[in-house]
Parts: sequence; structure tokens; C-alpha cells
Amino acid sequence: MIRVDNITKTFPGAERHAVDRVTFNVNEGNICVFAGPSGCGKTTILRMINRLIEPDEGEIFINGENARTMNPATLRRTIGYVIQQIGLLPHRTIEQNVAIVPGLLKWPRDKTRKRVLELLEMVGLDPGEVGRKYPHQLSGGQMQRVGVARAMAADPPIMLMDEPFGAVDPIVRVRLQDEFLHLQQAFKKTICFVTHDINEAIKMGDYLVILNAGRIIQMGTPIEVLTSPADAFVRDLLGDDRGVKILDLTRSGSLMEPANALPESPGRNGCTVQAVQPVKIALEMMMKKNADQVGVCEGETIVGILTWNGIKEHINRVSGDGS
Amino acid sequence: MNFPGFILNNTGLVYEYTLNHIALVVTVLVLSLLLWTAVGLVISRYDRMAEAVIGLGNVVFCIPSISLFGLFMTVPGLGLGRRTATLVLVLYAMMPLVRSVYMGVKSVDPAVIDAGKGMGMTGLQVLFKIQVPMAWPMVFAGIRVAVVLITGIATMATFIGEKNLGRLIHQGITRGNADMIFAGAVIVSIIALLLDHIMGRIQRKIISPGLRFQAGEQ
Repeated sequence: MIRVDNITKTFPGAERHAVDRVTFNVNEGNICVFAGPSGCGKTTILRMINRLIEPDEGEIFINGENARTMNPATLRRTIGYVIQQIGLLPHRTIEQNVAIVPGLLKWPRDKTRKRVLELLEMVGLDPGEVGRKYPHQLSGGQMQRVGVARAMAADPPIMLMDEPFGAVDPIVRVRLQDEFLHLQQAFKKTICFVTHDINEAIKMGDYLVILNAGRIIQMGTPIEVLTSPADAFVRDLLGDDRGVKILDLTRSGSLMEPANALPESPGRNGCTVQAVQPVKIALEMMMKKNADQVGVCEGETIVGILTWNGIKEHINRVSGDGS
Repeated sequence: MNFPGFILNNTGLVYEYTLNHIALVVTVLVLSLLLWTAVGLVISRYDRMAEAVIGLGNVVFCIPSISLFGLFMTVPGLGLGRRTATLVLVLYAMMPLVRSVYMGVKSVDPAVIDAGKGMGMTGLQVLFKIQVPMAWPMVFAGIRVAVVLITGIATMATFIGEKNLGRLIHQGITRGNADMIFAGAVIVSIIALLLDHIMGRIQRKIISPGLRFQAGEQ
């Protein structure tokens, strides 16, 4: 869907490359997260995809077409764009803000209006309540929602999101993340997502691109990166709770011992988790009930058992490096 | 003091001067808005010109009006009268207008411009759909300063032959007639306040309610 081929960018007067020979692909329907410290080039990469910044070298292909050969304005109208500062037009109502890209694309008025109402509802806003309001009358969380709705207005197959949930408090952020993942399950957009928050990266990403000083340090699925960080930088970025993060991404079903291999009835202490739930939840259960094992269910049926020792061994196997 | 009496005893004269005054101010205002708004928009896109143009406006603004009227009067083709008066007043309006248009456009939040570009607006669309509407509060502040300023300075045009309210003030001074001075000054003030009030009404129509809080209303 998006193919970035060996792009390099140096800003005038800068000592080093902002982006240095970066190559990656983003597959259709995936969220690809770019993570790294500030100044690592993640935002620059994002802005090169919709040509707000032109790469000095290298090519970017969108659906097989070279971005350089497309008209920048036309290209951008087919790519949703969400930024941390949101950038709502303060002199336009919420409805008018969401209708901007359809307006640029010259949609008929009724079609635009119908779409705007549908989008506001989709992002969890009441069109009757906020539609006629101006941005300054909304809360931060509401504005972020409008920002997302606006980016999705013309149903672009690709979305670029630069710290889209960065400006709200942690509680609202988690809710917006969950809601967005929920929307994504339905819409399967191809998304490039920039964040400096590694937890957000792991949560949102189907695929992670870890950057430092303009270079790609590591690429892979979150679990790949967590289980085998490329170097000390990635290990630091992931934090000291790498093992716990792995447990958050590991399904209970994958670590359990199947029920038929067990000598005794597994669910005897009554605490069970679903096989699709993360191991972290099972761990929480064990701590609450002061038990060292929990039963694992698929629906109502117990299919296995997850033990404290099993979890410990798993962590030791995937991330135990003596450190 | 009996300046209302003076006005009542000289209605024909006062009426003529007042109309002349308003005609001059409105002409200057229309020309200035067309000219200086355009200049302000142009320099907001070409930063290198901005400093020079705004500097020129400042310099003109610092020249005492009476000398500027006198100076332009000597230019062949201008001479005494409306043409010179209009030109000089348009030059005086340059500073507040050009500056406010430029500052207004420049003070637009870069994040909003970035969002506009990112959504696929062209350069001109960014200017007219984002920068200009968002600049209105500042532009109107400049326009209202210019209106009051022009109305006041227009009195000085009496020295180059304009038959306006400045003449009442000037002759009042030479004759030592306080009522005459007052009559001129009060009517000039009323015109200034009136024009300012009209601008305020237009401003409320043009500036989006989304920006009102910036314009210091509500």
C-alpha cells in the first residue's frame, strides 16, 4: 500500500540527516507505528508521505504510484491527516470543519451533510449538540474526536496520524485509543501512526518502526520487538517492564497446559480467564485470589490451566537475558 | 460657550463642510482598504518585502501631516484640493492597515495552516479559507484605528484648499472664536465615532463567532 524506498532528508543548516536512508512498507489495513525520541525523524517521515516535506533522495510509492508524480494537493485529499495540535479551523463550526475535505473534493451538499452527521456519531459525538458549535467551545477530548472525524471525512484509504491523542489527559487518551482501535477493526484503514509513547506504540501497532537519529533501528511486530530488542537503545525505549508488556500481548490460551493433560479438575478455585485474554489478566486474577494457577476458558468450557510457573518460564525464555 | 448656537446660525456652511469632510474620509477609506489590504496580503506571502514596506509606512506616519500636505501640493498635477488631500490621507492609512493585515495573516496558528495543507488545500485556499478569515479580528482593529485617524487628520487638508470641518477649526483659531473651534471639533469627533460604530457593526457581521473571544467580545 505504502512503499518507502531509501528516503533521506536533511534540513537546511542541520548537522545531520533528519531522516537517513529509511526503507519500509506498510501493508494494507495495518497500523504501522513510528516510535522514537523527539528528533528521531518520525514526524518528518510522516510528512514526506503526503509531501508536506519533500525527500532529498529516495522514492515513496502509494498504491504503486510514485508520490512525486502526483499533484500534492490532490494526493493529500486522498490521505487522512491528524496532528497533535488538531488544527481545527476556529472560525468554522464543527460540522464545517468535518466537511472541509468533501468540500475540496466538491461533493454535493446533501452527500457531505449526511457524511458529516454519520462521522460525528461514529466518533462518539452528538451532532445535534456539537455540530453548530465552534472549536473553542469543545473540550480537548471532543476536539481530538473531531480531528479524527475530519480526517476520515472523504473515506481515505490511508491515514497519517501524528501523536493524534497526545494533547489529552491519560484517561481520555486510553478511551480514544480503544475507540479508535474499535473503528479500525471495522474500517481497516492503512495507517501510519507517530508516537513517542512506547506503550501507545505497542498498543496501537500491528507493526513497529523504531527510530533514532533519523535511522531505523528495528522493525517488526510488537511482540517481535519486545521479545528480541535489537540493541540497548531499543531495550531502554521499551523500559524495564518488557516482560510485563509481553504478558499483555500474549494470549492466555497460548501459555496454558491443555485440560486433558491435567491430573485434577482445573477450575477448582473458580477463577478463570478467557483464552483470548492477555496473560496479564490471568496474573491479576492469581494475585487477587492468592492462587498460583487459573483455569482458562473458551466461552463456558474450561480448556486448560495457566500456572505461575508456566508464566515465569515463558518470560525467562523470551526475554531472560540475565539483565 | 455656545457652539450649538454657532452651528444653528451657520447651518448651510456647517452642512457643506460636514459633507465635504465625510466625502473625503469615505473616499480615502475605500481607496486605502483596496490598496493596503492587497499590499498587506502580498507582503505576507513575500517576507523579504514586508520589512521594507512596513518600514515605509512607519516613516510616512512619522512625518507631520501639515508638511506632507504642503509637500505633495507642490508636485505637478496634484496641486491644491481633493486630489492631494486624498493621496496624503491614503498614505497615512498605510501604517495601521498594512501592518494589521500583515500581522493578522502572520499570527494565524501554524498548526491550523498545517492541517489545511495536510487536507489538500492549495496555497490560495489556505490564504482565503484560513489565513484571511482568521486575520479579520486584527485587520478590523487596524481599520478602526485608520478610520479615526483619517477623520482627524483630514482637518489639516483645509490648508491645501479643502473646504471641510478643519476650516471651522482653523478660522476659529485665527479669529479667536471658541464656539467655531468647538463646533468643528465636536462634529469631527461625532463623524469619527459614527464611522467607528459602523465599522463595529460590520465587524460583528464578518468575524466568525468562533473568533469572537479573540476580538475581545463576549
